[in-house]
Formats: sequence, C-alpha cells, structure tokens
Amino acid sequence: MKIKKLAWLFSLLILMSSIGGNAQNLDEIITKHISAIGGKDNWNKLKSMRTESSMKSNGADIVFKSIAVKDKGTRSDIILMGMTGWSIVTKEGGWSMYPWAGQTKAEAMTADDLKMAIEELDMLEDFLTYKEKGKSIDFYGMEDVDGTECYKIKMIDKNQKESTYFIDPDTYMTIKITSKVKSNGQENEYSTFFSNYEKLPEGIVMPMSSTNGWSENRITKIEVNVAVDDKLFVPTK
Amino acid sequence: MKKYLYLVSLFTTYNLLAQSPVNSAMFGTMETRQLGPGTMSGRITAIEGVLNDEGKTIYVGTGGGGVWKSSNAGTSYKSVFDKHCQSIGAIAINQKNPAIVYVGSGESNMRNSVSIGDGMYKSTDGGDNWKKIGLDSSEHISRIIIHPNNPDVIYVAVPGALWSDSKHRGVYKSSNGGQSWEKIFYIDDKTGCAELLMDPSNPDIMFASMWQFRRQPFSFNSGGNGSGLYKSVDGGKTWREIKNGLPAKPFGRIAMNLAPSDPKQMLAIVESKQSGLYISSDGGETWKSQSATMNTCARPFYFSTIVVDPKDSKRVYRPAFQFAYSSDGGYSFTEASSEGGWVHSDMHALWINPVHTNMMYLGTDGGVYTSIDKGVTWRFNHALPVGQFYHVAFDMQEPYNVYGGLQDNGSWKAPSAAPGGIGNGNWTRVGGGDGFWTIPDVDGKTAYSEYQGGNMVRVELSTGKMENIQPQKTSQEEKLRWNWNTPIVTGAKNPKNLYVGAQYLYKSNDQGRNWKRISGDLTTNDKNKQKQEESGGLSEDNTSAENHCTIFNIAESPLDENTIWVGTDDGNLQFTLDGGKTWTNVSMNAAKCGIAKQAWVSSIEPSHFDKNTVYVSFENHMYGDHQTYVAKSIDMGKTFTRLNHKIFTGFAHKIKEDLVNKELLFLGTEMGLFATLDGGINWFRMKNNIPEYVLARDIQIHPKTHDLIVASHGRGIFILDDIRTIRNLNKDIWDKDVYVFQTPDIILNNGKLGWGGPEVSGGWWAGNPSDHPSFDYFFKQRLNSGKVTLEVYDDKEKLVQSIPGTIRRGINKVSWNLRSTPPRVAEGAKKMDGAGFTAPMVLPGKYTLKLIVNDKVYTSTFNCVHDTANKDLPLEQRKLVYEKAMAIQQLYNKVNKSIDTINYYQSLLKSDSVAYAKRKNAIAFFTDLEKQKGELMGITKTSIFADEKRLREKVSELYSTFCYMESAPNQTQLESITDLENDYSKISAEVIKVITKHLPKNPEIKEKKRLD
Repeated sequence: MKIKKLAWLFSLLILMSSIGGNAQNLDEIITKHISAIGGKDNWNKLKSMRTESSMKSNGADIVFKSIAVKDKGTRSDIILMGMTGWSIVTKEGGWSMYPWAGQTKAEAMTADDLKMAIEELDMLEDFLTYKEKGKSIDFYGMEDVDGTECYKIKMIDKNQKESTYFIDPDTYMTIKITSKVKSNGQENEYSTFFSNYEKLPEGIVMPMSSTNGWSENRITKIEVNVAVDDKLFVPTK
Repeated sequence: MKKYLYLVSLFTTYNLLAQSPVNSAMFGTMETRQLGPGTMSGRITAIEGVLNDEGKTIYVGTGGGGVWKSSNAGTSYKSVFDKHCQSIGAIAINQKNPAIVYVGSGESNMRNSVSIGDGMYKSTDGGDNWKKIGLDSSEHISRIIIHPNNPDVIYVAVPGALWSDSKHRGVYKSSNGGQSWEKIFYIDDKTGCAELLMDPSNPDIMFASMWQFRRQPFSFNSGGNGSGLYKSVDGGKTWREIKNGLPAKPFGRIAMNLAPSDPKQMLAIVESKQSGLYISSDGGETWKSQSATMNTCARPFYFSTIVVDPKDSKRVYRPAFQFAYSSDGGYSFTEASSEGGWVHSDMHALWINPVHTNMMYLGTDGGVYTSIDKGVTWRFNHALPVGQFYHVAFDMQEPYNVYGGLQDNGSWKAPSAAPGGIGNGNWTRVGGGDGFWTIPDVDGKTAYSEYQGGNMVRVELSTGKMENIQPQKTSQEEKLRWNWNTPIVTGAKNPKNLYVGAQYLYKSNDQGRNWKRISGDLTTNDKNKQKQEESGGLSEDNTSAENHCTIFNIAESPLDENTIWVGTDDGNLQFTLDGGKTWTNVSMNAAKCGIAKQAWVSSIEPSHFDKNTVYVSFENHMYGDHQTYVAKSIDMGKTFTRLNHKIFTGFAHKIKEDLVNKELLFLGTEMGLFATLDGGINWFRMKNNIPEYVLARDIQIHPKTHDLIVASHGRGIFILDDIRTIRNLNKDIWDKDVYVFQTPDIILNNGKLGWGGPEVSGGWWAGNPSDHPSFDYFFKQRLNSGKVTLEVYDDKEKLVQSIPGTIRRGINKVSWNLRSTPPRVAEGAKKMDGAGFTAPMVLPGKYTLKLIVNDKVYTSTFNCVHDTANKDLPLEQRKLVYEKAMAIQQLYNKVNKSIDTINYYQSLLKSDSVAYAKRKNAIAFFTDLEKQKGELMGITKTSIFADEKRLREKVSELYSTFCYMESAPNQTQLESITDLENDYSKISAEVIKVITKHLPKNPEIKEKKRLD
C-alpha cells in the first residue's frame, strides 16, 4: 500500500512538473521578459541609437547603418555592391530609395505602411507599451522554435497588424517574431529570429544578431544616446 | 521485492524518458519537401467561407489533410491545422466575428478508408491557433451550427463511431462557445446524427437526420430502426419524428436541406427500400415523393450534400456522383456542363457565396473547384496538395522517381527533383481507378499499378500503355479474393521477383506474363466474412471495399529471396523459407505479446541485418480498437516483443527499418510519423515540416540518396532528403556540447539540374534537394549568447569563405556555395553589379572547416572532388577555367581600384562644396575625372530598363561567365579577357594622365598618394 502511495505521489509530481510551465501566467511572463531586457526605466532613458551591422550573402557583405531618434525619426542606409539605398520614417512622412530595385528617385511610403512605421518611433520594446498603444495580447501556450519550446504570445494592434512573439522560458528573451501585415488588400507574413543578446552600458539588453530566414544580420557597432543631425531625416532625392 | 522492483522500474522509465534528449526538435532544421502534388488533389469534406469578404476567404476541410485556408478565392492555400488531427468532418465560422472558427474533426463520409477524428477545435484568430474544446470521443462529426443571434450557442451533429457501438453520438449543444457540452438528442449507441439544420428565420426550429450505420471489416450496413427524420421547435430541447409522406421505415442516411430565403421549402434524399428525393413546402411537416435520377439518389452513405441557393429557393444543387442542379425547386435536375473539362466525381461539400450566389466552391474526391456561373462550369484549384496516397515506391534513376496510388485518383509517377523544382506538371498518370501499390520494375521501363479489388496492370512507362496481368483462378480453385488494396510487390532481395496476393500468393519472373501459385490459402478462409454481395444495408454497395480473408502484405527478405513473409487482413502472419513450398503461421505467437488476434497485418519489415529478425505492424481499428500495434521477432516468429510507447497515436500502418543503422526505425500511423534511435525503446514524433498527426501510410528509404520517403493519406508525398545525419546520431554525440559531423565529399558542380523557368501560377510546387551536402553540426543546447561562424580554408590555409552559423539546439545545417569570397565593388554606379556576389568555384582538394563557437574552434577536414560525370569539363579544363576566372577577378579589382582613385579625388575636390563651386581648376579636374569614370563604368542611366555597358559591366559579365562555366571555354571567351585587359590599360593610362595634368593646378589637394 505504501509503495502504491509512493508511486502515486511520484506520478503526481511528474504531472505537476510537466504542467507547471504551461500554467505560467501571461503577466508573469511579460514581467520577467521586461526585466530580462533591462527594465522599463532603462528603456525610457533611451533617446537615440546608431548601429552598424553587416549581413553575408554568397560570401559578400551587405552593410546596414541605422539611426533612430526617439519620437522623431529613423533612417536606415543599406550599402550593397557599391550602391547605397535608404529608407526614412518620420511622423510627417516616410520615403525610400532603393536604386537596385529600379528606383530613380525617393518614393513615399503607402499610408498603411507609414501608419505602422510611426508606431515604432518611440523606440520602446513592444511589451513595454502595448497597453498604452491599445494592443491586445493572447497567450497560445508553448511552441518549438529551433529546438526550444517557447512561450507563444500574439499581439494585435489597432491597425490589425498581428505579431507573434516566441519567448525563451530560460532567458525570457524573444527569439522569434512572426508578423502578419494586411496592407493594400494583401496579407504578408514574415519571421525574424533574434540571438546573441548583450547588455549595453545603458542597461538595456539588445539582440546583436537577427536572421530573416536566409541570412544573418550582425551588429558590429552600437551607440546609444548620441547626437543626430535632423537633416538625416530629410529625403535627399 | 516485486513492489520495490516496480517502483525502481517506474523511476528508471521516467529517468530514461527524461534523460533521452532525442526528439523531433533536434532535427527541426531538416525539413521535408512536400511534393504534394496539387495535380489530382484529394478528398474534400467541408468548405466554409467568410461572408463579408466577397467570397475570397474560405476554409477547406479534407479527408486526411487537415484544414486549408485561402484568402484569395483559391489562388493559393495555406495549411492551418498542421498540429492537429488531419481528418476533418465539419467547419463553421462565426460570421459576426470571422476570427472565430470551429472545426469538427473526423470525416463523416463513411467509406471503408475514412479516418477518425478526436473532437472539436476552436480558433479565435482566424485559424492561426487552435484549441481543443471537447467531444474527444466523437470520432466523426458531420455538421456544426452557430446560433445566428447568440454565437456562444453551438450545435454539433455527431454520427459517432463507424466500427463499434458508442454512446458518444447524437446532437450536442454548447451554450458557452464550446467550454462545455450537453448531449441534447440521442437515440442509441448505434445511431448518430448525420445532418442537422436550423431555420435561419427562427433558430428554435431545427431538423436532425438520425442514422443507424455500422461497418465491419467485411461488410457495411446503412440503415436500421434508429434512423429517422426529426424536428425540434424549441432549440433542440425536444424532438418529434416526422413521417408524413416519407417512405416506409427503416431509413438509412438522409441528406436534407432547406431554402435559406424561404425555410419552409425543404428537400430530403431518404435512403430506404424505396430511396428517393422528397420535397416539403411546409417546413418538413409533410413530404411528397419526387422522381429523381440515379445520380441524385446514389450511394447515400457517401453523397450526403444537397444545398439550396441562399437567395433563390428554386435553385437547388446536388453534388454527388456528378454535380447536378435544379432551377425548379428540385422537380428536375440537370448535370453540370463538361465545357472546360472533367470535374472530379464523388462530391461532398459545396459553399455558395451568399452575397454573390453565382460564385461557389465545390469539394470532391479530387480537390476543390470554383464556379462563377451558378455551377454550370467549373475551374479546378491547383494549389491543394491533399492527395491520399496508400503506398509509395521509388526507382534507381537519377534523379529517382516516386510512384504511388491514391484514393479515387489512380496511380502516378513523378521525379524527386526536376529543373526548377517539382510542380503539378511533373506528375504522370500510370494507372486509374482508386490507386494503391504502384511499383517500378527493375528494368527502368516498366511499372505495375492496380485499381480496387486486385485489378492490376503492367505499364509501359514510355507510352503509358497498360496490359492487364491479374492472375485468374483455375477450375480447381475457389473464387479468388482480392483485397481493396491488393499487394503487388517486387522482391527486396531479387527485384525480378514479382508477387501478388489474393488468398493465395502468386509469383512471376517475367513481369506478370506468367504466374505461379506458391501457396495454399494463407487466410483464415472464414466463410462468415465472405458475404460481400449482401453488403451495403438498405442500398446495395459492393465495390470490393469489403472483400475479406485476403492477403494484405507480402515481403521478401532483403537477405534471402526464398524467405517470404505474408500478412492477411484477418490476422494471419505466415512465412516460408523455401520459396513457398512450405508455410508457417506465427500469428498466435504475435498474439502472445498483446497483438489483437484478428488484426490486419498492415506491414512486414524483414530485417536488412539478420534473417531471423522481422518487424510487423498490425491494425485493428475495424474492430473499434485504435491501439498502435508494432512487434519485433528475432527468432523467425517464434516469439514477438511488442514495441510500444506512450507517445504513439493512431493505429499502425508501416514499420520501416533503416538500411544502415539497425537501431533507427520509423513508424507511420493514422495519426503521426515516429522514429526511434535505440531500436524501439524511446520514440519521438517527427515534426520536420510534416503535420504532427499526418496519416503516414507508407515509408521508404532510398539506398542511394538516403532520403526518407513518406506516403501520406491526405497530404501527398513527403521527402526528407539525406537522413545520414539522423542515422549517424548516437549517445556519444548527443552527450557532447558541440559535435561536427564529417562532411561527405562534395562534388564540384553547379547542381544537377537547371533553372526550369518561373513557377507556374496557381499550382503546388515543391523545391529540389540541396545540390551539395551542407556542413552539419550538433549543439546540445541553443547558443543564447555569442555567435557562430564557419570558416573554410584551402590546403594552403588561406581563408576561402566565412559563413555565419546557426545556433539552434540539435542538428544545425549550414550551406556553402563552394566558392571563395566575391570581389569588392567600388561605389558610384547607378545599377547593381552582379560580380559583387560572384566568385569562382574552388578547385578539387582537401579543405578545412573551422566551426567557431565564441572562443572555441572545432576543426575538421573534407574533400571537394572533381565531377567526373561532366565530360564537358575535364580536370585540366576546370583548372584553366579557374585560372581565367581568377585573372578576370584581378582585372575587375584593378578597374575598381581606378574607380576608387577617381572617387577619392572627387571627394577631396568637393569636400568644401562652396569653395569648389568657385574654383574653375577644381571643376575642370572633377569633370575630366567624371569622364574617365564614365569609361570605367555606367554612371548615367538610372533605369533598369536602359542598359549602359562600360568596362566594368563587360568585365563583370565575362567574370560571371567563367565563374559558372561547366564546359571548356571557347576561343572568343578566352580572347575577350585579353581585349578587356587592353581596354583597361588604355583607360587607366588616361586616368593617370588626367590626375597628372590637374593635380598641380589644384594645390588645395595635398594628398597625392593615390597616384602611386
């Protein structure tokens, strides 16, 4: 009888340990996630950021230079085979110029794309602001990402953009985001994978690597709260 | 003591399971190619569309391929149910909030091969995520209705279990969006609900068609006292049987519907001794018999759909054996036009866009069709890869072909790789009817295919001509009994041996021209199970689907052609060691390890390593038993050990032993594909871009390519390319933090196949396998911080290329393009220059791979070898091509250096733009430089449609030609190198001249080093 009880207790323990992860409260996951990425206070101190990164394609380097100023604008330059393309987003408008795509002059973003891009100008990680921005979130249990069972959380914004976050339960870092965007009658889905998180001197924690499925973009230089010339956010041609 | 051992065993088992790190996630980077195809598609069971979306967004439920969603009216589809049961019975959309979708699993077209569901599912985000919400034991669901005014109220029609008594049948209701269920109408454990209707103008009025039915492995019965038509006027609280005007009972299955625009107008096709079409004009209270064609009333158990136009009560559609429509409320029917081509027969689902009722989607045994003219003509949707294969085979050609037969879609052949990938057009039909075993002959010119009930043909592959080769009975023999899915196989040891099985086993050595019977009756020959002519119930239905006491599997030992195993559909497992002279029945020995006695022998796998070892899978679902039965014998069937695991789901179809690693086994069941790396102790579910509950009917391993080939009954063919990494994985490896697998020799070429042109729109397409082996390594854990880089070095320790690595747990696979690092491209062009992504292919030789994981380096070596198969490029020519490509790369670098020089001086001149504008000398210098730059590369034309070919573009083009060259260069190509070098010499001299001329006149520019 005693043995049976022990066996029962043992089974119960196994059961409890197996369901423990799934019972994780969504608020608790988000709290731990925010703590893992450096905490809200540190993120609120972020005013600007300049990064340089590179991506390999067939052995060749593609260089990215990005600048973001909180609530003002972002600019990304891509240097590819001797050519430079760029995109700019400000509250007033968004433009891009990619000569390799046949563009001969700067083209304005569509209203739908701009609306979504402006949402990101606060430079704050999504879970820090989703409530203020009126986004809803839902927890969909665990799902495998590259061999790691992750928390799966879907966030939907006012523009019906859906982003699904996969958070590693060991580190509470986001290791994948899948976004579904409906724009101009089309629905597009794309995923980005994140890794190599590093804590910056300012206390925030950032992924130094992101992968879009075909190549990895590695940050080679990062500067926070630097002075930025506003002219950089003016489309030049 | 016993109790102590029990506890120890419990702990040990738990620890083993807990500690075994092998699972599907480990192989996640190895993804199957889903070959589909969409060519013939497969059985569709349910179609529902979103109302407020112009009919563009639809959900399609399938017999064995899950749920697919299209947001573009069928141009493309996306599978949205890959993590769940693949057999679908019904779908319902909450039209007030279309993000909420319900799926009832378990098809209700009760054919012999119908699969089984595991309950209701709900999505609240348009199909991205699903949650199971109950009715787990329902097995089959035929209809879901959402209350139009209160979407939390849901009704579900459950026919219930097909093969056994069950209390889990009838009409169910949930009042809280599926959180809990109440059974609101139940007849008995043999009778379920086949159809459920709700009056949209008064949702309290409902109709239920109750159906008594049962299959046994050897018969089918549709009909009984439980069947009847019922009406409720209080939302399902009470039900009243309706008989007035209907034929005499007993009934079988009743298909029925009402006109949404005038719900008192109803139609019912009632299966009875006088099966027919009945019409009611008073909300089902009274009915009138209406004459109808065979097509309207045929096969009630399989064709149960009748639909009335949402706006026009007179327009009635009857998708059945053919598609028929009526414009007079069902008094007369016309069959759809054949203009535009054949529409697949056997129809089960129809969704009409209620807003534009000329637009509709039809679900058949062969996919989805769309009509925009009220069903008169139809257009096939080519992008639904939901074919229901029974078996798969391969040949030894390069690339090899796969062969297989499908439910109601004949037999087909397709290459495993093709220029540009495998599209619908790459599939060739090699047999008709319902296709099953389809086997290539070793001669490379011939295949064998069959259709239901043992009708088999020899196919000449070059012409498609077929010759019937079925053995016939002699006057001394009983009537031959052929299974619906009759085995026809070639020998694993001697592929010239061709076998087929009725109740006897036959062998041919001349491609079926002559047969020799090599056994007596190997079945139980139970006469009580051989009354198929009485099968069907109220409607006779005897299409060979219930044939029984037949041979179901044949397997020649890969080690000895005289050792042949045979399994039957009535539980017998027999073998011969002398080519058929004597037979031994070991089924009772298998039963001793817990296998159900009468279970079908679903596959036999004689070992490749030991003649006395055999693996056998059994399945007993036709007796209501869904257990996964797999057994192994190591003593020629004297004793069996059952292989079992808690992770198994679904009854077993196929057990397959690897050809190299005897500990590696694969198991296909009705609900999943599983693998073990320790001979069957620990198993894991394969999730490698394959649905988690895939109906895995057959598994093969190609001996040359090491590909795992899986035939699914609902998702077509899957190929997991080159499983050697799985094969080589063992405890020594998975105990290490990092392990680098030996890279196989890499044959140097641009791949075996060409581009093939753009993919055809609207079809299904599967990619080709990788052209070359990848660099494979194993991580015990995901690398959470730091980075991974792979570096390739040549035998002189010179870095060839640096490649970013992946960081996932388990197997990582990183591709290398076999080339060195491309040249740098100087800035200033208006268009992209392809040379910046191009480098020559490396030469044959020994190379070193360094896997750099943060500060640790793991070094291994591998060989790149010359492609001797390419006679156009002998080794000496390969070396010449490489040498010339490198020479052009040097020229390219020189051109870019000159451009850099010009850019440098131009930037100095313009460093102070205000001063520059005032200095004539500076402007003259800049202008002359710009002129030379314009000779070196195109700098004026910005449009991609306006070519501007200058020196760099010419060098770049020639460089690319040499980099991708796979034959000896021609003379003009070689001469072009010299010509371009000469051109460069002239322009570079001009550049120096310009600088020399202008520099002294521009003393502001101090920097002169660039001249050197």
